[in-house]
Amino acid sequence: MNRTLILRSRNDRWSVKLNARVLLVTVVLAALLAISSVLALTSGSHPTSVTDVLGTLVAPNQSELALIILEIRLPRILMAILVGAALGSAGLILQGLVRNPLASPDVIGITSGASAAAVLFLWLGGITGTSLLLAPVAMGGAFVVALGITALAWQRGISPARLVLVGVGLAAGLTAVTTLLLVLSPDATAMNAYIWLTGSLYASQWHDVIALAPWLMVCWPLALIKLRHLDAQSMGEEMALGLGSALQGHRLLFLVLAVALAGSAVAYAGAIGFIGLIAPHMARRLVNSGHTGLLPIAALIGALILLYADWVGRVAFIPRDLPAGIFVAGIGAPFFVYLLYRLRRELG
Amino acid sequence: MHRYASFLLIVTCLFQSPAAIAAIATTPVTIVAHALGEATIAGHPDRVVSLYQGATDTAVALGIKPIGVVESWTEKPMYQYLREALQGVTYLGLETQPDLERIAWLSPDLIVGARNRHRTIYPLLKRIAPTVIPGDVYDFKALLTLMAKATGRTARGEELLTHWQERVEDFRTRIRQKLDEQWPQEVAILSFRADHARIYYGGFARSVLDELGFTAPASHRQESWGIKLTSQESIPAMDAEAVFIFMEDDPAVQRTFNTWSSHPLWKNLKAVRHNDVYQVDPVTWNMGAGIIAANRMLDELYQHYDLHQPEHRGCIQC
Repeated sequence: MNRTLILRSRNDRWSVKLNARVLLVTVVLAALLAISSVLALTSGSHPTSVTDVLGTLVAPNQSELALIILEIRLPRILMAILVGAALGSAGLILQGLVRNPLASPDVIGITSGASAAAVLFLWLGGITGTSLLLAPVAMGGAFVVALGITALAWQRGISPARLVLVGVGLAAGLTAVTTLLLVLSPDATAMNAYIWLTGSLYASQWHDVIALAPWLMVCWPLALIKLRHLDAQSMGEEMALGLGSALQGHRLLFLVLAVALAGSAVAYAGAIGFIGLIAPHMARRLVNSGHTGLLPIAALIGALILLYADWVGRVAFIPRDLPAGIFVAGIGAPFFVYLLYRLRRELG
Repeated sequence: MHRYASFLLIVTCLFQSPAAIAAIATTPVTIVAHALGEATIAGHPDRVVSLYQGATDTAVALGIKPIGVVESWTEKPMYQYLREALQGVTYLGLETQPDLERIAWLSPDLIVGARNRHRTIYPLLKRIAPTVIPGDVYDFKALLTLMAKATGRTARGEELLTHWQERVEDFRTRIRQKLDEQWPQEVAILSFRADHARIYYGGFARSVLDELGFTAPASHRQESWGIKLTSQESIPAMDAEAVFIFMEDDPAVQRTFNTWSSHPLWKNLKAVRHNDVYQVDPVTWNMGAGIIAANRMLDELYQHYDLHQPEHRGCIQC
């Protein structure tokens, strides 16, 4: 049933094994994403027809319609896709790395690190601070925390179990710092910080897309090439070593990849939670494959979740524009409870 | 910059039809410098979009009915005192995330935003229409001057400012006579929320009180906006000769106020002992943030201190 296609180069230098089901699911999800994006492009305060949208995309002009579609809707939709895909991929890599289905960027402290840094920045800058530096600062926070977690969890190499425990602990501490800063902030700053903490794609612009895209373009191919080592690791440390996989080196690489993906996504969209947790689980339900095959599917599911969440926030309560994070949490929180429930039954 | 603008104008004219040239030639161009750059505005904009409460208030004072405004914080969708002037206006959602598409569809001539809220969307706003952003959200006079210039209503703006100045002078004279030795009076601005109390060190109300000649307790003379208090042990920090309190009309807020004001420390405050505690309107004192709100605040002060207020004219609503 699980047919596979194998592509080989002539001299056998490389080969790619493609699972037919993975391919099928990827194509279906990609098509769904493309259709959803076009539909999302047509809806807004003033719905526009599909022909208008396609016409503007093909031949942009100077009208208000072009401004709305090309400068307001399109970058925002692209950001939803990029951020969702980055978070879904980061979650998959982390869950594979620590071999725990409940791991995700927000559980092990990466998101908390970015949040604390962002809120600190907003607090220090107050009203006069420039917002262009917010994203790099948040990303810096994510990396510093990841470094801290690794250093604290280091015991002759990275031990995944310690990684999770230290991460959860640090996340709790950082949440306390964030709350303290919020209490100290004046209303306007606190409100900006709250919106950031919920995660919002409002007012995403082309420069955001251009800043975020390179992170994915570097991390993604690297992950696709290297993820087979995660499959080896999932069979146990001895097995991975026996198969000739550099255990610690790869663990470090995967951690860096997950932090870069999650950190950059969160830096530009705010602390959107749950996608990193849910998307990999949904991917595993759809296909039974190694991590390489799961990666595009988890990424596509992440992109779809955020695209729809942002779409609802943007259109359902016009003229109010609500942060996408609210709706992601709306689906994410029940799913998390369901996962806990299922895990307990499986283990008990 | 003016030279550059006129050069641009000539270049544009070269590519325009004669009718269009006539139109451009008769439309004066104003260049307005603001907190985030410069805006080039043609003519006297009538289609104004206001993205924060102070700008909405100021637009109404200048005699402009904005085509789009953001929702108010309380008394939604718009504060009672502005509602009549804003009938049929288009609402653009919340001040924090206004509906950009709707702003674009309205095709405004001028957008007024706030620095702390709309900095990130400023590049988009500027592409929709000339956008001005005042430097300090609490300086209602600077806002008035900026908007008067941007909308080509400088005469009206000056009239409003002179009128305000006269009222301030009158109030100062009368209160000095009334309080005699107790003037200048030391006053504190307090607010209660559902889960905490606040002392305001800065902000709109404080700036108006400063201008009127009131003083702040030494410990309240700080650069920051104020402080949030969660423990009733900090009640002595609220002490002053007189206290102004604004709070929203909400049962939870009222409960907090009742708890705090029945505390022994509260009863020990100077202002409480001398019965100089005034409850004031949160909308005029803390949210309106424009010239009309300032005038309404002054009205309340005349009333609280039981001063005779001369008939005043000039501002429709003031």
